[in-house]
Amino acid sequence: MSTSTKPVADRLLGICLIGLAAFVAVQAINLEVPFSYEPVGPKAFPLGLSVLLAGLSLTLVFKPGTDGHWPHRALALKLLLVLGLLLVYAMLFTRLGFMPTSLLVVAALARLFGAAWSKALITGALMAVGSYFLFTAGLGIVLPTGYWLDAII
Amino acid sequence: MFDFLIEGFGVALSPLNLGLAFLGALLGTLFGALPGIGPINGIAILMPLAYTLGLPAESALILLAGIYTGAEYGGRMSSILLNVPGDAGAVMTTLDGHPLAKKGLAGPALGLSAVSSFVGATIAIIGLTLFAPLLAEVAVMFGPAEFFALMVFAFASMSVMMGKDPVKTAIGAVLGVLIATVGVDSGTGVMRYTFGMAELYDGVDFVVMIIGLFAISEILLMLEHANRRDADTEIPPLGRVFVSLKEVLYCKGAIGRSGLLGFIIGVLPGTGASVAGAVSYTTEKRLSDKEGTFGNGDMRGLAAPEAANNASAAGSFVPMLTLGIPGSGTTAVLLGALMLYNITPGPMMFTERPEVAGGLIASLYIGNIVLLALNLPLAGVFARVLTIPRWVLVPAIAILAFVGVYQLHSDLTAIYLMLIIGVFGYLLRKLGFSLAPVILGYVLGGLMEQNLRRALSISDGDVGILWQSGISLGLWLAAAALLILPWLLPKLLAGNAPREDVEDG
Repeated sequence: MSTSTKPVADRLLGICLIGLAAFVAVQAINLEVPFSYEPVGPKAFPLGLSVLLAGLSLTLVFKPGTDGHWPHRALALKLLLVLGLLLVYAMLFTRLGFMPTSLLVVAALARLFGAAWSKALITGALMAVGSYFLFTAGLGIVLPTGYWLDAII
Repeated sequence: MFDFLIEGFGVALSPLNLGLAFLGALLGTLFGALPGIGPINGIAILMPLAYTLGLPAESALILLAGIYTGAEYGGRMSSILLNVPGDAGAVMTTLDGHPLAKKGLAGPALGLSAVSSFVGATIAIIGLTLFAPLLAEVAVMFGPAEFFALMVFAFASMSVMMGKDPVKTAIGAVLGVLIATVGVDSGTGVMRYTFGMAELYDGVDFVVMIIGLFAISEILLMLEHANRRDADTEIPPLGRVFVSLKEVLYCKGAIGRSGLLGFIIGVLPGTGASVAGAVSYTTEKRLSDKEGTFGNGDMRGLAAPEAANNASAAGSFVPMLTLGIPGSGTTAVLLGALMLYNITPGPMMFTERPEVAGGLIASLYIGNIVLLALNLPLAGVFARVLTIPRWVLVPAIAILAFVGVYQLHSDLTAIYLMLIIGVFGYLLRKLGFSLAPVILGYVLGGLMEQNLRRALSISDGDVGILWQSGISLGLWLAAAALLILPWLLPKLLAGNAPREDVEDG
């Protein structure tokens, strides 16, 4: 958490946003618009926004704020782990089914957030089963059971 | 002129809606009290599930409004008991609330907060009942040009009032409006920023947006506190749970004044509970802090921001219901929820959908009483919620977020999009952005463009129509004044003032 990097973050953000503004503008200009009776069309609004965004971002580049507490390495690693877990959750959600995936992901998340293994596993099991019945029986949501189960049945 | 209210009570007092108001207040208080989950996150997480119930629009809105007001109240618990404000609006509550709890008066502090919230909200709901129909009558005369100017004014007022950094607030709003341009352009049928993805043809889904932006980014943000042992996580003993009538009467001036103040601030677009809390606290401190007890556990210092917070929460319904312009981030979420039901709030709602407008206002009266009845006796139970460890909370939020988004279309693309938006929201928050302008921009963006294009269609491309009428010209000037004054005033003052106050600027 070195303090000297603070303005850099905002400057970098400003530059990225100017890039975004340019991208938005180019995309808008390249829109192929069929003839219409409307004087404005779909291009003008995004174009105006991109000009506004570029202007604001320039202000940010030249007058960066003082905010920013960036995670140190251990935390950044954990952050990536949590993101990875959420990604795994998304990937296995329909393949493995809601219950098994939730059990795995909940247990892993609980562990990452400081629970002991035993507690994490119990939490995973309880939440996976409990929420499944709450959502399906209680709220009538259809949740995936998983392809493997379908194959067995 | 109060026909809508009578019809509204008819709607709100049906057993189903009464039950929903109760359920909303209960769930809202619980979610608001959860550590780290403010009102806006609470609504974001619970809203998709409210949809699965298949409720009619007015019932869904009653449930969500109950969650909203409940969460605003529940959010104060961690301020008082743990000195951790649940959201920006609760910061002022900690100043005298936590010292009171340390003195062993946690129970009475919670009770007083409930009573002040109740009175403040009641003042504002009465104000809402009186002024909303009047404002709606004026707003009926608004054409597209006036609405466009009004939205510009709302964004200007938000940039100045919300958040620490006006430039970042404005950037957030522009990013939100940009996200709103994704999808098929309604005027011409042209695809904008869809990159060939069929899932984006209808634009970025509202539920995906708010869950990603609030719930997922919250999970990532919570990681920073996961292993930190806060010194204050011990909940102080509540002591006696009820606040005495004498204590309430001692604060009656503070509550009344702050309630009115909060309502007025809430009505202004873009200025939500945080401004209301801060203004009322400083006002009350100046007016009644004769012995210098504010900040050391003065009951009036707790009552004032609490009354103002809740009054502004109700007050922000005025611009939302009558003009379709949300007064705060949370009402922006509610507005988006209404749009999902194909109801665009605005001046016509009081005449065309009186059951929605009236039902909502009536349910605010009812929900407010339910909240008081719920919170006085159950303060102890709700306080226990604060001790739920993050390793239980985070997986639960993850499940709710995934199921909430998955049930929309039984589709994984929406989940991936939610995760991307979540990372985007996390980065914005780390960079010192407030998310409320983003969501406001996202919700208003479509309407803003529509009104602009409609206005220019009427004038056949002549830009002058945007400031032709007195109303729109006034709004443009007000917006300009808002943007220039904070920048100009210090310079004018600095010319005459001695140098001492330059250094902290």
